[in-house]
Amino acid sequence: MARREIGLRLNGTDRRLEVEDQVLLIELVRGLGLVGTKLSCDTQVCGACTVLVDGRPVSSCTTLAIEADGRAVETIEGLANAGVGAPGSEAPTLHPLQQAFIDRFAFQCGYCTPGMIMAAKALLDEHPRPDAAAVRHWMEGNICRCTGYATIVEAVLDAADPAARERSLP
Amino acid sequence: MAEAVALRQRHGEDAAIYAGGTELLLAMKLGVARWPHLIDIKPIGALRVVTATKEWLRIGATVTHWDLERDAAVAKALPALAGLEANVANVRVRAAGTLAGNLAFAEPHADPPTLLVALGARVLLEGSRGARALPVSDFITGMYQTALGADELIVAIDIPLPHRDVRMAYVKFQILERPSVGVAAVATIRDGRFVGAPSVVVGAVDEVPRVVPSAELAGADVRDPGTADALAEAAQAIVDPTDDLAGSADYKRHVVGVFVRRAIGSLVAKAA
Amino acid sequence: MSQRHRVAGTSAPRADGIAKVTGAARYAIDMSLPGMTHVIVVRSTRAHARIRGIERDAAAASPGVLRVITGADLVAAGLTPYYGHVVLDHPVLAIGKVRFHGEPVALVVAESRREAAEAADLVAIDYEELPSVTDALEALAPGAPVLHEERGERVGDEGMDGGAAGLVGNVCSVAEFGWGDVEAAFESAPVVVEGEYRYPMLYGYAMEPYNALAFFDQGDLVVYSSAQHVYMVRRDLARMFGLALARVRVIAPYVGGGYGTKSYTKVEGMTAMATYFTGRPAKLDCSVEEAMLTTRSDSAFIRARSAFTKDGMLLARDFEIVMNSGAYTDNSPLVNQKTANRCFGPYKVPALRVHATSTFTNTVPASSLRGFGAPQGNIAGELQMDEAALRLGIDAVELRLRNLVGPGEELLPGRRGLDADLKDDLRCLAVSLGWPGVGAGSVGLGVSASDAGAYPTSTAAVRIHSDSSVTLFTGSTELGQGSRTVLSQIVAEDLGVPLESVAIVSGDTGVVTYERTTGASRTTTVTGRAVQEACKDARRRVRELAAQVFGVPVTSVEDTAAGVRSGDQELAYGEVIERWFGAGGEVLGHGAVRKADGFAKMPPFWEIGCSGVSLTVDRETGVVSIEKLTTVGDVGFALNPALVHGQDAGASMMGLGAALHEELVYEGEQLVNSNVVDYRVPRFSDIPKDVDLILAERRDGAGPYGAKGSGEGAGNTIGGAVASAIGRAIGVFPHQLPATPERVWRLMQESKAAAKLR
Repeated sequence: MARREIGLRLNGTDRRLEVEDQVLLIELVRGLGLVGTKLSCDTQVCGACTVLVDGRPVSSCTTLAIEADGRAVETIEGLANAGVGAPGSEAPTLHPLQQAFIDRFAFQCGYCTPGMIMAAKALLDEHPRPDAAAVRHWMEGNICRCTGYATIVEAVLDAADPAARERSLP
Repeated sequence: MAEAVALRQRHGEDAAIYAGGTELLLAMKLGVARWPHLIDIKPIGALRVVTATKEWLRIGATVTHWDLERDAAVAKALPALAGLEANVANVRVRAAGTLAGNLAFAEPHADPPTLLVALGARVLLEGSRGARALPVSDFITGMYQTALGADELIVAIDIPLPHRDVRMAYVKFQILERPSVGVAAVATIRDGRFVGAPSVVVGAVDEVPRVVPSAELAGADVRDPGTADALAEAAQAIVDPTDDLAGSADYKRHVVGVFVRRAIGSLVAKAA
Repeated sequence: MSQRHRVAGTSAPRADGIAKVTGAARYAIDMSLPGMTHVIVVRSTRAHARIRGIERDAAAASPGVLRVITGADLVAAGLTPYYGHVVLDHPVLAIGKVRFHGEPVALVVAESRREAAEAADLVAIDYEELPSVTDALEALAPGAPVLHEERGERVGDEGMDGGAAGLVGNVCSVAEFGWGDVEAAFESAPVVVEGEYRYPMLYGYAMEPYNALAFFDQGDLVVYSSAQHVYMVRRDLARMFGLALARVRVIAPYVGGGYGTKSYTKVEGMTAMATYFTGRPAKLDCSVEEAMLTTRSDSAFIRARSAFTKDGMLLARDFEIVMNSGAYTDNSPLVNQKTANRCFGPYKVPALRVHATSTFTNTVPASSLRGFGAPQGNIAGELQMDEAALRLGIDAVELRLRNLVGPGEELLPGRRGLDADLKDDLRCLAVSLGWPGVGAGSVGLGVSASDAGAYPTSTAAVRIHSDSSVTLFTGSTELGQGSRTVLSQIVAEDLGVPLESVAIVSGDTGVVTYERTTGASRTTTVTGRAVQEACKDARRRVRELAAQVFGVPVTSVEDTAAGVRSGDQELAYGEVIERWFGAGGEVLGHGAVRKADGFAKMPPFWEIGCSGVSLTVDRETGVVSIEKLTTVGDVGFALNPALVHGQDAGASMMGLGAALHEELVYEGEQLVNSNVVDYRVPRFSDIPKDVDLILAERRDGAGPYGAKGSGEGAGNTIGGAVASAIGRAIGVFPHQLPATPERVWRLMQESKAAAKLR
């Protein structure tokens, strides 16, 4: 199997890695210990494996790792400030999406959540103030079996407009 | 580009052209296809652009659905294509998958071929024996089959820029992950009548997009329900659906009729 | 009843929130160990066949392969190669014959997953094909091929086994009961409604597919698993290897979706075999397709009739039920029993006959799925209420109100009286949905009461530390339902400590206390009571220590909010502990509940279903759009309202999936939609336009503060409600779910044709 060296910016850190041609992006990131990215359907349907490549959401289960060469890859681990949950760390600084998912109870088992949040991040990066219909349309390709989705839409809208969240939280 | 063609020539059937990879990697993972070599054409900058001339909108082979969904020229000249692209598969597939790849894979349950046939689009190919252009309707020859030569690759898709008063619509019926009926309609409507015959194509329902015979409806009154009914009946007569998880052949044929009427209705609404 | 609480009853943020939004939460599938091997399962390509031989030399010689294991190896090693919590008939790997397409036949254990997968293609199995049967009615017909020539040993205990009577041919189990003179009632009844109803086989699609990681540690078997019921899996594994229970440790970290699909043993046996035969840690991760070949839900065919008086009072009901239970027993006897118990609804039925048969077929084995038995039977029972209402010219809500069982009244003889006010719930539901309909929407609604299959054996432990913080130990698994949060709230409430100072350890049989299962919506009610007992026990221990510290009789020590008092001396827990020990120390409280006291009568609670929809139907295509969804969560007391809402929203959405789209389809011997491309689960676009999640809190449950179970009920009635609403929209009630666009369209065609004939 052909191997080649690739250079990528992974969650803000430049990395040089040697990968085999046929290795998938999800195998690469999980192999580096970034196991927040989850595999489920393995057919780019469910969105659990969503990561961002140069800001665009991709199914890491169906993307070759070598595609990351020269690109910026973001996984769920890159979203919050480092040190979340570590002993003695400052109070964790969560991304507004992460906080909104907690506040809205927008997950249960949590298995789809990293993919959900990454897909939502790509949305908000491009459309900072989407309406509910835009959120539903963008997120259509992410499956959640637990929540029934409504709380996820609320969370994304909250993250887009924290002021609205203040007004509407119980 | 020359290098890609040379590689294609050297490896022939042993190499697949790799752009978005959404269909390709899926096929490889499912074990339905295996290639020793992939020719990555993404580095070819010339293939990554949408350009417009007076007559054509040229979509490079590595332009993604995501790009087309956001392209100002597409939105202006071909709003139905922009709308179609915004609803292909899901956001991740759109971000990686290309229009050319979609055509090259010739997956029957796809959206773009239907509208491209209705718009009279052509595929620009380049191979060791030079360049050629094929109408999309000739390029797709069957289920997962195209006229692409073993030494060729797609350079671009050319879509004729429609006249200002041309109306276009694409509507689809989709229950599962892929569409099970797609209907494209392109026509000029003036004073409540078709100018010439409308171009109506039904896709995703059987092996290839089917062009609905419509010559008899040249100049027909678009508000007469009989017009849409005639097109619907003609469409139902030419499709050849099979029973599958998306529904029985009977049902799909019925839905074809419904969606042809809806596509025509949408044209009429746009013309109003 | 204005009991006041500090923490209970608040929507406290999830205890697992930060872990889950940052990707830090670890699931079994994320676990790995140095030296870990990878297991790929070789599956049967026949539905029913004798195995003549397995050629494995080529695979064994393939690069990276450590071992190829077959069922015969398990037998030769003297292991118990079967598992099952009711009947020991499910082979870890096929022995002698295969009984469904996709059944595990061999394991390839290799250094890498790729090497294992490549070698797996080299395993050649020589089959002698046998006639097969995939349809349950056909499987019960004379002359049908028989799956099990011999029956497995019955190992189910009191909560599990319905008995072995009448098990001939492909009958997996029978549930039969009734009362009154049914035939006489039907003969004299002014109105009789009859019909046949079908509920599909479903796949729960928990997004984390079944997986396990197993290794031996000085002879002790340790298994990380995606299992819900770690203690049930422990028992199966101990039996397989002849190990004492203490020598088997099953650990379920976070679980990526359960919904009942991860109840009981799945891939843990295979994974343990791989480590047993190689001496290396072994990891087995199913793909989603393999998960779909592992467990599904029982489908149901129901022939039902109901007799009514002219004023709409039920006279009799009669249900003949056939469940398609797949190739092995697994949980189907319980599902079958529950379908029987739940089909006739929470109504006063003077004469009743129910006969349900769980049936072996050459299909994927069926087991638990959310609400099991309830949704299958509910559609028959509830649609007949609607059909009768139409025939009688009585409002369908009014008809139900006339027949519903009232609070405290018995649904099943000898069982706990109904701990709910269904009439009030139903009125509430009807108001929310604008019954009998507003605007273009057609309304359908339904009620159910499920005898929760939660055998109330539960234990818990709390450790109060020297700084008064607390660690709770529970065998209940966090599946996403929020057990860690709710149980922590109970500890904080009952021990009077801040929620932030409660830590929780769960899902590890080597560490935590015994919990029979994490299923049947039991955790808040049953485990919650055990946690309360543990808190009580810890407080008692603290009083005992304090008496010694204070030098007073224990009777003169009393509890404060978070400590003790004697006279004018007050100490926090931690202070008592530090003073008693001199340095450091802790207090341990243990709690246990059993089928006694508050839980003496089964079920421990009735899980209420009270939900409905308003919908529109596209007359041209048959596509159904849900305009409004309402659930009434009759949960006694919502310990964490946001979590209860989450359960009701999730369960009803799953119900909508089954009502409108989800169905595993067999064509011939093969499952043809074993992937998420073709098996359609609800998406963002399926969110109902309006959702109303109502809570009815009457403190009438046997759980903490009057709570009772939630999490399944809201979904149990959705299938029937959707069918009912579609019926009102198009003039004919669908008797088969899912009501796909094509099925609805066909019904419209048929009713048009029928109208023409009239």
